[in-house]
Amino acid sequence: MEKIKYEKPVINKISAGVPSKFGLPVKQKIISDIDGIKVSTLMEKYGSPLFVISERTIREVFAEAKRAFETRYPKVQFAWSYKTNYMDAVCSIYHDEGSWAEVVSGFEFEKALSNGVNGSQIIFNGPDKSETDLTMAIEHNACIHIDHFDELYLLIEISRKINKKARVAIRVNLDAGIYPIWDRFGFNYENGDAWNAINRIMLAENLELIGLHTHIGTYIMVSSAYAIAASKLANLYMAVHRKFDYWLKYIDLGGGFASKNTLKGAYMPGTETCPSFDEYAEAISNALISSEIPHENLPVLFLETGRALIDDAGFLLTTVLANKRLNSGRRSTVIDAGVNLLFTSFWYNLGVYPSKEMSGGAEESTIYGPLCMNIDVVRDAIVFPHVNTGDQLVIERVGAYNMTQSMQFITYRPNMVLIDMEGKTHIIRKKESLETFKQQELNPKR
Amino acid sequence: MKITDEVRISDNGFVFNSKTGDSFNLNPTGLELIKLIAEGKDFNAIRDIFLARYDMEELRFEKDFYEFCALIKHHQITTVENPLDFK
Ligand SMILES: Cc1ncc(COP(=O)(O)O)c(C=O)c1O
Repeated sequence: MEKIKYEKPVINKISAGVPSKFGLPVKQKIISDIDGIKVSTLMEKYGSPLFVISERTIREVFAEAKRAFETRYPKVQFAWSYKTNYMDAVCSIYHDEGSWAEVVSGFEFEKALSNGVNGSQIIFNGPDKSETDLTMAIEHNACIHIDHFDELYLLIEISRKINKKARVAIRVNLDAGIYPIWDRFGFNYENGDAWNAINRIMLAENLELIGLHTHIGTYIMVSSAYAIAASKLANLYMAVHRKFDYWLKYIDLGGGFASKNTLKGAYMPGTETCPSFDEYAEAISNALISSEIPHENLPVLFLETGRALIDDAGFLLTTVLANKRLNSGRRSTVIDAGVNLLFTSFWYNLGVYPSKEMSGGAEESTIYGPLCMNIDVVRDAIVFPHVNTGDQLVIERVGAYNMTQSMQFITYRPNMVLIDMEGKTHIIRKKESLETFKQQELNPKR
Repeated sequence: MKITDEVRISDNGFVFNSKTGDSFNLNPTGLELIKLIAEGKDFNAIRDIFLARYDMEELRFEKDFYEFCALIKHHQITTVENPLDFK
């Protein structure tokens, strides 16, 4: 007698009248390949876990963002936010697409230079700029975005000392009608600090004010906040012209567009709720074009978009280590990638999917990482199919704030692989080994 | 392991526990398994029946069997013996 195909025995509790948040469970999504390459092939070749980044997705999303802005506003310049993902291979793709570099430390500045970015196309943001950093930035003609008065005075001193003009802008913080207001960076608009800083800069012989910058926050889900921010910077831009008979070169609205990830506690998935690039572009362009600024003097619009450009291009491939029933009866799955590789798991409900069709039902589960640490929870509640030890899973939308932020802890950090436009794979950062550590560590006891 | 008196299992895989008021759905293998448990069969007997009928590995079944037992115990479908009796 031929045997019947076996299916895992399951029992599911029926909770009458309480459908899940999104209605009845839909067909389980699977991710079996990335840019046409099988997940199993990638893992066989490069191991597990494995970060994978798709050049095709990077370029496609960038093209979409660029189109959204360039069809609405005459002068647009993107600057790649290094902190979002500063793998050299990734930065090089953005620079190839025409992006400048936006950096927030001496280290990132040096990285941008080593990636071949001309110093005059580096935007230097952030509260951490040492005298050495600022000297390097002035020497390279970078656009230095001043964060506070101490930095302003230090710049005046350095530029006098080395007798070279610094090209500067100020970072402005403002009330864009959203909460929280990021008032810790830059000079406040509403209380007049921003205007005072501008006046002080205009008096300084060795400082050339070239732009105005703001970054109102991150994962901003209302595009109208950008319209408010743009109008306020347009007011300052006009005030500078009136008082000093001088046109600044640019207005930089920073980053902050939401990616399609779903925030923890959100009722609807991010794919449904995030504004599109078109909506952000519409809000910003309208605000600038309908401001008092005459059309022929419109500033260049700088954008430092990070997560919305790259989240979709990054994947983390991982393997199921074990399944476990907790004492509460809840199903849990342990995978070989933990929160040390997934910084964004602290604020997103990351999408975790099997790489092949799974038989049997799905059940609300918890997904744990491999660390022997209680905090290592990748998903605390996810309706998940009954996967088995050794099954390969894919975590999507991890291109921003995970790869270069991943922390070495307990195990080695994994390989990172780029799939290029021809579908070829390249290691862009090698898996760590004991040697990696030996190179940095010194032991006076041996 | 004994199915609690208050539990009713129907042939279409519906389970009702009148003690807790909970109801459950079983998939076909789940139904078959719970019926064999209700008949008082032990693990070895049930494993042999499944091995004869289904295309599967012995260890895989053992894992699934004990997971299923833990769940029905959790849902109070089986009576709980004192785990500290160490029988
Ligand atoms: C000054 C500045 N610009 C741009 C970004 C990129 O932000 P996002 O990834 O939200 O687009 C950041 C991130 O914090 C930032 O601090």
